[in-house]
Amino acid sequence: MSLLRFLARRLATYAVMLFIATSAAFLLAAWQFNPGRLFTTRVPRPSQAVVDRTLTSLGLDPREPVLHRYWDWLTGVVTRWDWGRSPNGASVNSQFAQRVGISFSLTLIALVLTLVIGVALGVYTAARQYRVSDRAVTSFSYLTFVLPAPVAYLAVQLLAIHANSLVGHDALYVTGISDPTVTGFWPSALDLVRHYIVPTVAMTVFGYAGYQVSQRQFLLDNVNADFVRTARATGLTRNQAILRHALRVSFIPTAQSIAFTIPALFIGSYFAEAVFNWPGLGLWSVQAMTNQDVSAATAMVAYGALIFAVGAVLADVAIVLVDPRVRVSR
Amino acid sequence: MSVLLPGAAAGADDLPAPDGVTTPAAQPVPLGRSRVVLRRFLRNVPAVVGLALILLVAVGVLVGNAVSPYSATEPDLTAIGQPPSAAHWLGTDQAGTDVFTQLVHGTATSLLVGLVVGVSTPVIAAVYGCVMAYKGGRVDRSMLFVLETLIMAPSFLLVAILMAGRSAGIGVLILVLVVFGWMNTARLVRGLTSSLVQRDYVRAARYSGVRPFLIVWRHLLPNIASLTVLNVTMGIWGAILAEVSYSYIGIGVKPPDVSLGTMLASASQTVDSYPWMFWSPVIALLLITGPLALVNDGLRDAFDPSSGSGGRAR
Repeated sequence: MSLLRFLARRLATYAVMLFIATSAAFLLAAWQFNPGRLFTTRVPRPSQAVVDRTLTSLGLDPREPVLHRYWDWLTGVVTRWDWGRSPNGASVNSQFAQRVGISFSLTLIALVLTLVIGVALGVYTAARQYRVSDRAVTSFSYLTFVLPAPVAYLAVQLLAIHANSLVGHDALYVTGISDPTVTGFWPSALDLVRHYIVPTVAMTVFGYAGYQVSQRQFLLDNVNADFVRTARATGLTRNQAILRHALRVSFIPTAQSIAFTIPALFIGSYFAEAVFNWPGLGLWSVQAMTNQDVSAATAMVAYGALIFAVGAVLADVAIVLVDPRVRVSR
Repeated sequence: MSVLLPGAAAGADDLPAPDGVTTPAAQPVPLGRSRVVLRRFLRNVPAVVGLALILLVAVGVLVGNAVSPYSATEPDLTAIGQPPSAAHWLGTDQAGTDVFTQLVHGTATSLLVGLVVGVSTPVIAAVYGCVMAYKGGRVDRSMLFVLETLIMAPSFLLVAILMAGRSAGIGVLILVLVVFGWMNTARLVRGLTSSLVQRDYVRAARYSGVRPFLIVWRHLLPNIASLTVLNVTMGIWGAILAEVSYSYIGIGVKPPDVSLGTMLASASQTVDSYPWMFWSPVIALLLITGPLALVNDGLRDAFDPSSGSGGRAR
């Protein structure tokens, strides 16, 4: 089977899965959520008639049968690419468009740092297995594994607040993406850095451990392989043999997991955005739950599933690219 | 290598001797695989310490529950936001609830969530994966489709959708975590067992009329035992972290139920003024997940046939 036919079949399967997952998400959310809840907290509290009229005009009336609402929503998506409205009346399409860039920019630097630091430390610790440096780095990785992400981010936030109070003024911002009162190129750039440092450090320090531990293990599986011994017999030093031969093979599984991680750039991080109050897609999904927002929740499930499918296809392609033993087409 | 598998002993020239009767003293009696694993695990000091710590936390929960005179939900309005003292060992929160009592209840909740989710997901995964591999063909393909669709959908959001709309108790959270937690393991199980199904000894059993359940029990399960056991420790660990994370952003366990996650969520706003409220659940959490990591590491080494750590068995 040629690569193209394989990919085409894979894509067709993913399209069907995407449709099922999205529909299931809409039906679950429409069945579970009560969009009227948002209005009960308003002051002055609107009358029930006003709430009903608003929800009906937005196509969110919970008294309508779920399947009926599903059909209206589906025809909207298919014919007009209209993903529906939030209970506050805002369009899901435009809210999504505003947030996707914010998630991307927050995640980009952290992800690159995570990958580089993780893989580099993984190789370093594998080459010095059971020495003090290996034990220290790997133990720290395990420490970050046992902390839940939001608690870890909160800890970094608290450290930054203490650092600020030591310096005497707010050098680092611990929430938000920018200060709207700052103007001019250099002041804006400085403002950007002051907002980025804390979340980026938090996501990197508590993110690279997975890559470090797995890259270390993959490399250790290969360090004593026959082809590495052969390479050493031809006169290479141990480090040369590891870097030129063992690393190449042990990088294959890492490349696959990188392919799955790259699409995460476009989803952002639920917990980092919630803790650092970055108005990206992650925070939006969490808010969609508390606001009982059927349309936004469904859109995020569809988007997440799409991104996963892209990652899976990328992983298939990545293995063809980095593994000389895999031949798909003849 | 002194580890002999029963099959290897039976393949020797002479008849397999009854244990310890005619075997010379110099030649050790072959050990069963589970005994080998157990011995290797017990030789790993950090893993045993970890296991002891977890048991200690569990006993602590039972004793603490019996000792504490306060309620985890009823506030004492005469003691609001008090630091640790003889009357309130870990202080009280903004509402006047005793933190130690909350901690005992919260730890119990976390352990319960972890145990139920951690044990049931690998079991479901093993059954589903084995059925796929054994049946093959159309059954395998349609079950794989269901599996991959579930993997593709972001389970974080689906769990959140099911939890956000209600003020349900811990039971629903456990159920939802199980429903969306077994898929990756099932795919691993399928990958491992589908190659075994083609082996001659499985075919021989099949053609001689052994019932499918027995074939899976005798020939497939022993091969995925290590994977399943490791997934139990990983599953407990993952479920406890998941509960904390969900509760922290307000869609997991909800008041009046208490868990480590709800304690952390309410303490996170006031770390500076009431530090004891924040550090107590953090330390309790680390006392569960840290030892779990040690136990998991010890089990992996014990199952790994090429591992040199923990010493050789016998």
